Amino acid sequence: MLKFEDRSVELRLGETVLEALERAGIDAPSSCRSGNCQTCLHRAVEGVPPPESQVGLTEGQKALGFFLPCVCLPASPLTITRPDDVGARRDAVIRAIEPLAPDVIRLRVDADDFAYRPGQFLELVADGDLRRHYSLASHPEDDPFLEMHIRLYENGRMSRRLGEFKPGDRLHVAGPSGTCFYEGVHEEQRLLLIGAGTGLAPLYGVLRDALKRGHLGPIRLYHGARSRDGLYLDEELKALSRTRAHVDYRPCLLDPNAPAGGDVAATALHAEQNVKDSAIFLCGGENLVKRLKRDFFMRGASMKDIRSDAFTPQG
Amino acid sequence: MSNLYERLGGENAVNAAVELFYRKVLADGRIARFFDGVDMDQQIAKQKSFLTMAFGGPNNYTGADMRNAHKRLVAKGLNDSHVDAVIENLNYTLRDLGVPEKEVKEVAAIANSVRDDVLNR
Ligand SMILES: Cc1cc2nc3c(=O)[nH]c(=O)nc-3n(C[C@H](O)[C@H](O)[C@H](O)COP(=O)(O)OP(=O)(O)OC[C@H]3O[C@@H](n4cnc5c(N)ncnc54)[C@H](O)[C@@H]3O)c2cc1C
Ligand code: HEM
Ligand code: FES
Repeated sequence: MLKFEDRSVELRLGETVLEALERAGIDAPSSCRSGNCQTCLHRAVEGVPPPESQVGLTEGQKALGFFLPCVCLPASPLTITRPDDVGARRDAVIRAIEPLAPDVIRLRVDADDFAYRPGQFLELVADGDLRRHYSLASHPEDDPFLEMHIRLYENGRMSRRLGEFKPGDRLHVAGPSGTCFYEGVHEEQRLLLIGAGTGLAPLYGVLRDALKRGHLGPIRLYHGARSRDGLYLDEELKALSRTRAHVDYRPCLLDPNAPAGGDVAATALHAEQNVKDSAIFLCGGENLVKRLKRDFFMRGASMKDIRSDAFTPQG
Repeated sequence: MSNLYERLGGENAVNAAVELFYRKVLADGRIARFFDGVDMDQQIAKQKSFLTMAFGGPNNYTGADMRNAHKRLVAKGLNDSHVDAVIENLNYTLRDLGVPEKEVKEVAAIANSVRDDVLNR
């Protein structure tokens, strides 16, 4: 009835999943034990958790099987894992590795049975122990490969390693993770996508997914970069916004002389005064994501409408 | 007469109040810094726990839990004035939502009742 990873856990009548885990000696954090604080969050990888154990979670989390064990009385068999468990590593083979800009590459890898939603991220593993997260710009229904856009840092360990790779080389991938994808959005809702640098990768994935699913509401995509080269999908996105009337692409070149800072966050905050009913996606550096999340929330956006991925240097 | 939590509207009341309350807290220079460290999505869930408790709703927190949850903040200087500020923001939130003064007072009293645990004394 209840499995934690590959281990069977006895579930007594009337007992919550949290109680069962604790009785089995599994280290499971908890706090409120009444379904509010989300400290006990776990994920069902097989089976469907009862809806009352998903109250308060985002639509993205619900779609991925996340639930709260402290208020979960399962009605059917469940196999569960810790929320940050990325599962088994899979083999991946490099299909293509090409520059998109002087310091950005596009990496395409082939991996079997890797189910994901565009905008989620995976863990890329090189040499057995070098692991970094990268977001997915590809679409599982259109692309037979996984596509990533990767900024190369001069002294970055993975950056250097990626500089040496060529098609046919082998890597591993694990995951996917993350809830920055097109879920819980109404088809007529306004979509606001804001990113800087390779933060464009997940947004590009989300944009394609939205169009594929027939999103009708206006879509505005801001992409920030420090130089013209950094607007690495400029032509494609301009062409797209010419053919799709509801897509509005706004490239933002860093302008150090602008009064409010001149970065994409300042530009977007200036232009987006009314965000109350928008579905918002924020991706890129930590400062950018934190600032926009806070300011849009303070302007009336609901937290459930703000999805984000911060590309922290820890990778 | 039903209990306070039910009179306020239960879970729906918590959901209606949580973002309003959190915006007020973040805008309040006296206490905003205590909410800096934690991710905003997680913080919303904690605020839900706080409101459910203050509304007299179902929760299993003990005094020790309240001590633990705020220990880190006490080390950063949390004191009576900050508890007052939180309760003040709670009062404003409830008034914005049109909650009658009698219930506003009851909620404030519950929040106030855990003051010593929150302040770890
Ligand atoms: C959820 C998530 C998704 C991500 N998605 C992407 C993605 O789609 N594309 C992408 O290019 N990156 C992404 N990243 C960042 C990525 O995981 C690595 O952190 C980055 O590629 C650097 O790895 P590295 O081994 O080359 O550098 P490291 O060896 O880890 O770092 C070396 C030095 O490079 C500099 N540096 C590294 N990362 C940063 C940074 N983010 N900001 C500022 N300085 C930095 C620092 O000076 C650091 O000391 C993501 C991170 C997270 C957490
Ligand atoms: C007035 C009485 C108060 C009550 C009843 C209360 C209640 C709670 C509850 C139930 C939690 C969630 C604990 C958990 O499950 O992890 C919490 C967390 C928190 N509280 Fe309070 N609180 C009070 C006062 C305050 C004050 C005065 C501050 C700061 C100004 C504060 C700041 C916080 C913060 C930052 C957290 C999150 C801690 C973390 O996640 O590390 N609280 N509180
Ligand atoms: S312990 Fe708080 S939600 Fe489960």
